Amino acid sequence: MGLIWDGIRQAFWLLITGDPEIWAITWLSLKISGSATLLSLLLGIPIGIFLALTQFPGRSITVALINTGMGLPPVVVGLFVSIFLWRSGPLGLLELLYTPTAMVIAQLVIAFPIVAGLTMAAFQTLNPNLSLQLLGIGASRAQLLWLLCKEARLPLLAAVMAGFGGVISEVGASMMVGGNIRGQTRVLTTATVLETGKGNFEIAIALGLILLILTFAVNFLLTHIQQREQLRWPKPS
Amino acid sequence: MRLKSNRGALLTALTFLLPVPLDLQAAGPPRNIIVATTTSTQDSGLLDVLVPLFEKKTGHVIKTISVGTGQALALAAKGEADVTLAHAPSLEKKYVAEGKLLNRRLVMYNDFIIVGPGADPAKVKAAKRSLEALKLIAGSGTRFVSRGDNSGTHNLEKSLWKQAGIEPKGAWYIESGQGMGATLGIANDRNGYTITDRATYLAFQKRLALVILLEGDKPLLNIYSVMEVNPANGPRINTAGGKAFADFMVAPQTQAVIKGFGVEKYGQPLFVPLAGKREGEIGG
Amino acid sequence: MAEALLALRQILVRYGGSTVLQVAALSVRPGEILAIIGPNGAGKSTLLRVMGLLERPTEGRVYFREQEIDHKDSLAVRRRMASVFQEPLLLNASVYENAALGLKLRGLNHRDVEQKVRPWLERLGVVHLAGRQARSLSGGEAQRTSLARAFALDPELLLLDEPFSALDPPTREELLLDLETILRETGITTVFVTHDRNEAFMLGDRVAVLIGGELLQVGAANDVFAQPVNQEVARFVRPPPPRPQRLT
Repeated sequence: MGLIWDGIRQAFWLLITGDPEIWAITWLSLKISGSATLLSLLLGIPIGIFLALTQFPGRSITVALINTGMGLPPVVVGLFVSIFLWRSGPLGLLELLYTPTAMVIAQLVIAFPIVAGLTMAAFQTLNPNLSLQLLGIGASRAQLLWLLCKEARLPLLAAVMAGFGGVISEVGASMMVGGNIRGQTRVLTTATVLETGKGNFEIAIALGLILLILTFAVNFLLTHIQQREQLRWPKPS
Repeated sequence: MRLKSNRGALLTALTFLLPVPLDLQAAGPPRNIIVATTTSTQDSGLLDVLVPLFEKKTGHVIKTISVGTGQALALAAKGEADVTLAHAPSLEKKYVAEGKLLNRRLVMYNDFIIVGPGADPAKVKAAKRSLEALKLIAGSGTRFVSRGDNSGTHNLEKSLWKQAGIEPKGAWYIESGQGMGATLGIANDRNGYTITDRATYLAFQKRLALVILLEGDKPLLNIYSVMEVNPANGPRINTAGGKAFADFMVAPQTQAVIKGFGVEKYGQPLFVPLAGKREGEIGG
Repeated sequence: MAEALLALRQILVRYGGSTVLQVAALSVRPGEILAIIGPNGAGKSTLLRVMGLLERPTEGRVYFREQEIDHKDSLAVRRRMASVFQEPLLLNASVYENAALGLKLRGLNHRDVEQKVRPWLERLGVVHLAGRQARSLSGGEAQRTSLARAFALDPELLLLDEPFSALDPPTREELLLDLETILRETGITTVFVTHDRNEAFMLGDRVAVLIGGELLQVGAANDVFAQPVNQEVARFVRPPPPRPQRLT
């Protein structure tokens, strides 16, 4: 237990004194996972909606693939992405391996099926005739999409949080495609592994706590938005 | 329905998950140099000192990839690195023989030591050689803690047992399956012996009651070499960069830095510079 | 003859291999209430969706006030109509917000919206529920809200797809009467789909009988009920024979 208390004290010390390396690592974690999540939303939400609301040949296979993708082991994703980005690989000429961009790519692959699958499930909870009714009172296609997203906002925000949570916490892919290079691709998760391996348990615990605080903060914000709607009873003006 | 304020809040939350200015590398100079090395080399902290020196001096950017020894050398052989720094001479020589790695040059060594309880029930201190020491430990059935994780350290230990002609088995022989720090902790708790690299022992010394009982024997030496990657191994190898780094590692100024590394923190240096020497000349 | 508000020509709707709807010609006259009746599965909802520009027929043309409507640019025309379905299909919001939705979608400001929505909430007897969340409403209250939503838009054409089928008989009768009153007062052109012949007879100026995807008879309500054109129609419009007395 003493070790954990030491770790907590160390965590606050690092944060308060503004240890630049820790802040850099934290900021990089946020940037990489944030970008990957954002991109996964841009790709995953439209595809999830499309899968939920339309029929087309090959739909069941696509859905099965997405659902399988939700459980992809990050380290396997990392392995395959690095093979692609290797110098000898098809994308080698981009020289992306061991850069934050590579990590965003790998995390995007991890987050996308989560977002798409959960968005699809979210929209499947909607009444199938709702779209018709909304069009029937004059919604444009864009307005329809917006209204459906609002109706499904609870499970939709859960999809966002699941996507973000899945990538901010993963270490296997980040390690493989990022290389945990100091000052370049070291993030909270990979730094934690490093410090643990070196036997610097207090620092490792501190990093772990910072990661938890970070994840909590983001999820708190999103949950607040998600749950706020439930409580509001707007006054008719 | 207050669409606007909800949208605003959601957008704020999403901008918090900021898009990063993705640093797509430009195809022109200066290019990165990928150095494949091992986790224990990285963990010693030496590269955290040397790499910035090199980068400042030459303007190159180094990407240090620290992985298991096997993976480091395999990556270099595939051409996924430009230069490699490792400490597995037999494996390295194999790659050199195959022509995958070129210009193998010795850089430094650190050593392993046998540590154990101060009371030294197996009387290891009397032994001069590591093989002798292991025979004494096995013979007396005193507890010995092994890494048991197929790391470089573990492989060294295994080869020593083999050379001593002993198959370590029994209640006295424990495999921790963990890193060096944790293994030392277990040996400390159970009053057992273990083989450790000097750097880790020094780092944990304050917490341990274990003492150094044997050191300096040649089989315990951990020899680091730098090797350049054969440009034929794959596309886009930064041959000039790899050579520059390799030259740097054996340069006199760098060797001086290596010599002094660790003195401030541990009171003794962690590595002994070796550039220019030949393998036969090392050890006692 | 006054221009038809809505006209369908050579409409064909096919799903996969089967023809679901086949209507050579059908017009909706301004100010009339057209009741479309038929058994379940006859294609009535499909017909209504084609009319409301919510579904594109496999073949055929739709005309609104003599102008042919291209499905792609149909938003403007679609906004001159309003649809109400069997389920109220309200959003997870208050009664007021639901009723105001159609107007909000058209970009009206708060004050204009309130001016149009409130009277309709009153007229449909749900103004006292304005602040209530839609999910807490009874079936009848919810359907009244859905109607208010449609009426507030002051549509040129109102399309109702079995709006009362899901309600219990007393509620259904109340709402039917209210609806009849409103329609007579406002004179909004209405197409009303039902499988209940009594509703059709009560509300409809004209009645169209749709069986098996085909329009078998269209005419004044009295005519259709008094003189069904064939056996199939007759079976549908004629009241059933009296049931045998129960032995006590």
